[in-house]
Parts: sequence; C-alpha cells; structure tokens
Amino acid sequence: MATHTEFHVHHDSPEKVGRRERLGVRLLIVADGSFLFAIIFSWFYLRNLNVNNAWLPKGVKTFSTASSWWVIVPFIIVFIAHRVSMRNRSLRVPAMALSTVLLIIGAWYQWHQVCNMPFVAQDANGRPFYNGAYASNWIIFAGTNMFHYIITAFITLGLFLRGLRGNLLDPVLEEWRQRVAGSWFTWVMIGGILSAFTTSFK
Amino acid sequence: MTTLSHKPASARPIPNPERSLITRLNMGSGTVVGILFAVITYYLLRHHFGSPWRVNHGMDMTNTHFVNVTILCTMFAWSFGFLVGIGALIGPFRWLIGKDLTAEEQLYLAGDGQGIKRYFKYCTDHKVVGIQYLVGVMAMLGVGGTMAMMIRTNLATPGSHFIAPIIYNSLVGLHGITMIIAMIIVSTGPFGNYIMPIMIGAADMAFPRLNALSWWVLFTAIPVLCSAWFLGGIPTGWTAYAPLSDQAGPGMNAFLATIIIFAVSTAVAGMNITTTVVAMRAKGMKWNRVPIFVVGATISVALAIPAFPTFMVAMIQTGLDRTISTGFYDANVGGSGWLYANLFWIMGHPEVYVILIPGVAALMEIAPVFVRKPLFSYGAAIAGFAGIAGLSVLVWAHHMYMSGWMPSLNGPFMITTEFISVPTGLLFLVLVGTLWRGKPWMKMPMLSVYAFIWDFLIGGITGIYLSDVPADNYLHGSMFVTAHFHYTLMGAALTGAIGALAFWFPKMTGRMLNDRASYISFWLIQIGFNVLFLGMFMAGAAGQPRRVADYAQAFAHANLISTIGAYSVGLGMIVLLWAIIHSWRSGIIAPMNPWGSKTLEWTVPYPVPLVNFDEPPVVTSDPYNYGRSAK
Repeated sequence: MATHTEFHVHHDSPEKVGRRERLGVRLLIVADGSFLFAIIFSWFYLRNLNVNNAWLPKGVKTFSTASSWWVIVPFIIVFIAHRVSMRNRSLRVPAMALSTVLLIIGAWYQWHQVCNMPFVAQDANGRPFYNGAYASNWIIFAGTNMFHYIITAFITLGLFLRGLRGNLLDPVLEEWRQRVAGSWFTWVMIGGILSAFTTSFK
Repeated sequence: MTTLSHKPASARPIPNPERSLITRLNMGSGTVVGILFAVITYYLLRHHFGSPWRVNHGMDMTNTHFVNVTILCTMFAWSFGFLVGIGALIGPFRWLIGKDLTAEEQLYLAGDGQGIKRYFKYCTDHKVVGIQYLVGVMAMLGVGGTMAMMIRTNLATPGSHFIAPIIYNSLVGLHGITMIIAMIIVSTGPFGNYIMPIMIGAADMAFPRLNALSWWVLFTAIPVLCSAWFLGGIPTGWTAYAPLSDQAGPGMNAFLATIIIFAVSTAVAGMNITTTVVAMRAKGMKWNRVPIFVVGATISVALAIPAFPTFMVAMIQTGLDRTISTGFYDANVGGSGWLYANLFWIMGHPEVYVILIPGVAALMEIAPVFVRKPLFSYGAAIAGFAGIAGLSVLVWAHHMYMSGWMPSLNGPFMITTEFISVPTGLLFLVLVGTLWRGKPWMKMPMLSVYAFIWDFLIGGITGIYLSDVPADNYLHGSMFVTAHFHYTLMGAALTGAIGALAFWFPKMTGRMLNDRASYISFWLIQIGFNVLFLGMFMAGAAGQPRRVADYAQAFAHANLISTIGAYSVGLGMIVLLWAIIHSWRSGIIAPMNPWGSKTLEWTVPYPVPLVNFDEPPVVTSDPYNYGRSAK
C-alpha cells in the first residue's frame, strides 16, 4: 500500500467526532432494535401458538389498552421537546428539565404498573406465579420500557446539567451531541409506540 | 438558557491527574469494589428473604426461585461493582455533571508512560486493549481446552468412570460456552483492536473509553462463568435448551449472567469497530483499498450487533422463568420451548459466521504477502463475506428440523442453507486463486492458509449433509455434528486466528515467533486435529450420540483414535503456548516489516506510538499490488 504523509497534528474536528458519535449511537440503536424485535416476536409467537389455551387463561385480568399507551407518552413528549429546543436554543435547558421530570414520572408510572399487575396469581401454597403467557410477556415489555426510561433520563439530565453549567469544552461538539441525543429520543419514541402497539393485542 | 463557552480549553485550569481518583483505580480496586457490591447485595437479599440455602418456610417465593434471584443479583452486582471500582463509569458521570475529562486526564487514561501497569487499568489505548483481549482469549482457550482433554479422556474407552455422568454433562456445557465465547473474540478481539486501527491509518478507535469498557465488561463475565462449577454446573450443554434450562440447578444462573454480560460487551465492541472502520479510515483509503481483514472483521462485528440481542432476550426470559415464575418456556402457562429454540438459533447461526469470517479474512490478508501475488478477486472476497452474512440470518431453522417446529418450512430452510455454500465457495476461490502458481514462502502464517483450506473443505462439505433434511434425520444429535462444527470453528476459525497471531506477532510484541516451536506445534495440532475429528465422523456416522458420557463397544476404536488425536492437539497447544511466551520474552527482535507486507501497520515501529502515526498517512494504492506497479 503506497502512502505519503501530510504534516498536520492528530486532532479530529468536532464535526468528524460528532458524525462518528451519531453513527455509534445509531449502531447501538440497531442492537436495541434487535432486542425489541425479539420481544415483539415472542409476544406474537406465543399469542398465536396459545399453548394449552394459556395465553390469557379464563378470568385473568389484563391492563387496559390505554395504559399501554399512557406509559409511553413521556417518550413522545421528550421527542417533541427536543425537536422544539433544536430550533430554539433558549429553550434547551427548560426542555431538558421538563423531559427529565416527565421521564421520572413515566418511570414511576411503569413501576406502579409492575407493582399492581392484575395477572399475578397464587398457587395452592400461596406462591405467586404469572398466570398465562400474556403476563410473562408483559413483564419483559415493562422492563424494556424501564431500561429506556433510565437511559433517556440519564441523557436528558446530562444535557440539562451541562446546559446549566454552560462552560463546555467545545460548542460545536456540544451541538452535535444534542443532535445525537435526538437520534436516541426518536428511537425510544418509536420503540415505545411499537411496544404499546404490541401490548394492545391481548 | 444554554450558554456555551467559547473559551479555549487551554485557558482553563487543568486538574493534575497525579492527584485525581483516576490514578488510584485499577484491576485490584475493581475486584475489591466488585466483591463488596456482590457481598452487600447477597446480604441485603438474605436479610430480606432469609438464607437462600435453607428451605424458607412461609416465604412468598420457592426456595429455588430465591436461590436464583440471589445468585443472579449477586453476579450482576459483582459485574457492576467491578466497573465502578476500575473507573469505567467516571467518564459518563463526568459527562453527566458537565465536567468533561481534561486532555491530561484522557492522556493518563490512554496509559501514557505507565509501562506494564496500564494492562491492569481501565486503559483506553487500543493496543493495550488488544493485548488484554489476546491474553484473555488464550486463558479461555486454555481452560476450554483442558475441559476438552477431560472429555476425551473419559471417552477414550467405553465404560470409563474418569468423570461422573452428571459432571460430564456440565463439562460439555462449560467447554462449549467457554470455547464459543473465546472463538467469537479470538480474531476481532486481539487483532481487531490492536492491528485494525493501524491498518486503516487511524490514531485510535472511534470510542476509546467504550473500547476499554468492552474488554472489562467481558472480563467480569469470566469469574461469573467459572462460578458455575461451584454452583453445580450447567447440565444443559451450551445451547441451554428450554425447558431444561428452566429446571436446571443454580449453576445455570452463571450461564445466563455470562451471556447477558457478554452480549453487552459484544454490542459495544461491534459498534466501536464498525464506527472506526466507517468513519476513521486514512485519507485515500477508499472502500476498494480497505485491507480484506478489516472488511471481514467489520462484517463480522456488524453481523453480531443485531444477532446477539436475541440470545440476550432468550437468556432474560429464562432468567425470569427461573426467578419470578414467568412461563415463557413452561407449556402449563402458555410458554413454548420452540420460542427459545427460535431465539437461540436466530443468534446461533449468524454467530457461526461471526466466528468464521475474521479468521478467513486474516488468512486472505496473509496469502498475498507470502506468495507475493495480488489477492485474487478482491470483489469476490467481499461478495463472499457479504453473501454469507446476508444468508446467515435466513438459515437458523436448519438446526430445528428434528424439533417438530414448522415441518413445512424444512424445505425452504434447506434451500437457503445449501445456497450459503455459494458465497462460501467464493472464499475458497479467492484463496486458491491467490495461491495458484505462486511461490509460497512457507512460514507459519502460510502453513495456516493451507491447513484452513483442507479443514474448512471438510467442515463445509459435511455441513451440506447436515443441511439436507433426510440426511439430518439420521445424523442429527450424533458425533457427526460435533465433528462437523469443530472442523468449521476450530479447523477454520482457530487455524485462521493462529495464522493471524503468527503473522502479527512481530508487530504486537516486537519479536519474531519461534519458528521451530511453531512448526512443531502446527503439525502436532493439525495432524492431531484431523485424527481426532475424522475419528469422530466415523463414530457419528455409525450412530454414536453426542453429549453422552458412555457409549457402546461398537464405537470403541473410533473413540480411542479420537482421544489419541486430542492428546496430540493438546500437546501442540502446549508447544504453541511455550513458543508464544518464550518468543515474547526473549525471541529474536523483529524488524519493522519482517514479511514485506504492504499494509499500513507495517509502516510504524515497535513499540507503536500512542497515536500510531506521527503524521496521518495518505493512501495512494491498494494493499495487494505485489508484482505490479502501484495504481
């Protein structure tokens, strides 16, 4: 491989670093998307298989369809807030503060659902078990939502605190990170909608 | 309101890293904090639920479930604690609070001027991470290989009581998963980290901190997997089929935790390598000038990114079944073992190619150098890799012909599986075409190329038998299958990795690999390997089932032959290990480019500078223009 060398220091421009970070986040989204695909596959596979008619045994209560959608509303608002704040810089700190609060509320609501699952039954010895494959699958969607809440809240809190401090190293790179965060916010919104859509099929 | 400072970094006071927390963290502090987290988690759970090791009357959960919860939480606490203790989370935490790592601190994290200590720290230098992977892989291969020797010793004669049957099952499972993990990282770990960034003219990986994270996350999985021994082993084999895995003892938790941790490491490493290659190639390195090893490693890790999360989901579902009584795989509450089989093999078959492709690509990198000819049809090599990667996601159910799942799909899956031999054939064509009428320089790396062609030919052709539904009806679950996938994974991928090690050893250690010892090891391994697995083909074709501790007298000769071959492989591996250690310590000092190769890694001296190149290189020709003028 023939080469020649140019004289300049090894220092990638913030533009290059920003593009690199965007690609990295998008690849992680592919991995997370594959995870979501696998749990959606599990849901519809077991639902359609309905082994021993135990997808949703008789008398087992479920969450309402609306509650599946309510729980992902914070993701949609975070996405919108971020889009708005990208157009108007002065709104960035309040938008991220609002997003963080909404995500904490969303996480609490998801936890509240987990603590009040209507489909957990008790066997003859009083031991709890998840009655039906619907119940088993629902818990993994709740866990995935919770994971998204934690990661997204970490990002919004970080952007909020960094916005407050203001004395950041590189404004161009900081701008890129706002955009990169937008890729993640878009994904968790899409992932949330897919989750809510899937769990609406009982 | 967001205000962004335009003050240059140099105008602000830079904290002295000599006094910062970063300097005090290393593998020791990671281990201490990891154990502390694990112990605290264990005692908190014990305080909450009572001792897991006694039957807990009147508790909400069964004793088994509580044991599983405690073990899994303790293992994850260890992993998380270790990462806290070694300093992996300092970067994200500092980002969160808006106090980014300073240039000086980043330089410290890169291990600048820290000598051998940097290998035990959260070091972001890709060369250090490469060596960490290399040593880690060798240790895993050593442990997995020792288990293989024990298995073969037990199978040397029928009726052997060298290992009790229940321990035999665990041994097979642990050997399997240890080797699978080792083989997944055997090429992309050491060479993908150490060599690949230099090959493309990059100063480092795209995300140096994540690079270190991928290694140390994986590192935390090693003691977790080893703990399976002390928790009763994994009696399910490495496939961990449900509902067996739901019902297995506490050792199964170690398996689940290992896979989940490993999947995180793989996703991070895959993302990092892919981004590095896509975004950090030297000026002038167009896609048709990218060295073939780089292309192969990138396709491999890019395939792993979507593949492994499905296995992770399968493991999480198994974990939930075992801990909180969900019923993903319990037919009584609407679950199905077929769900597991699908999720597992959606990962499982691409994973074979995740293992295979980097090894083949390394040998394609080696062949032109040692025959002094251009790589025959670079485009066909790319088409071969891409074709294999694309088809590999459409063939998973050929592992499930005999499971009874969707018999109507057996035909389509047979066709897609057999079709995968077309891009595989392209890889042979490229290698044979490169060797054709060349005058090979028969050094250790080149010997590996020839060994690969022989081994993978047998592995590939026997795979066609297994993809055929009627033949698989007879051969499924037999030693024939075991021999087939060892020819593919060990004969092809490990041979490729050993060739790659011999090839890049001078660049990674500054010394030449001992010729005589490496030749002896090569012939011991290759002759032993073929004796071992050709014997196993015989036994399998005659009907000997796999994963069984004993067998009928009719299979005695074939098994004895196999065991003799296995001892030869074991001896060869010991000689190779000696050659590596001896050469690393006191081998002949290597010149900068001992093989006369034309790729970029040979243009930098040893030790490779921290930022690899004093000035960024600009590529002006393809890397395989041997015997013709540059263009």
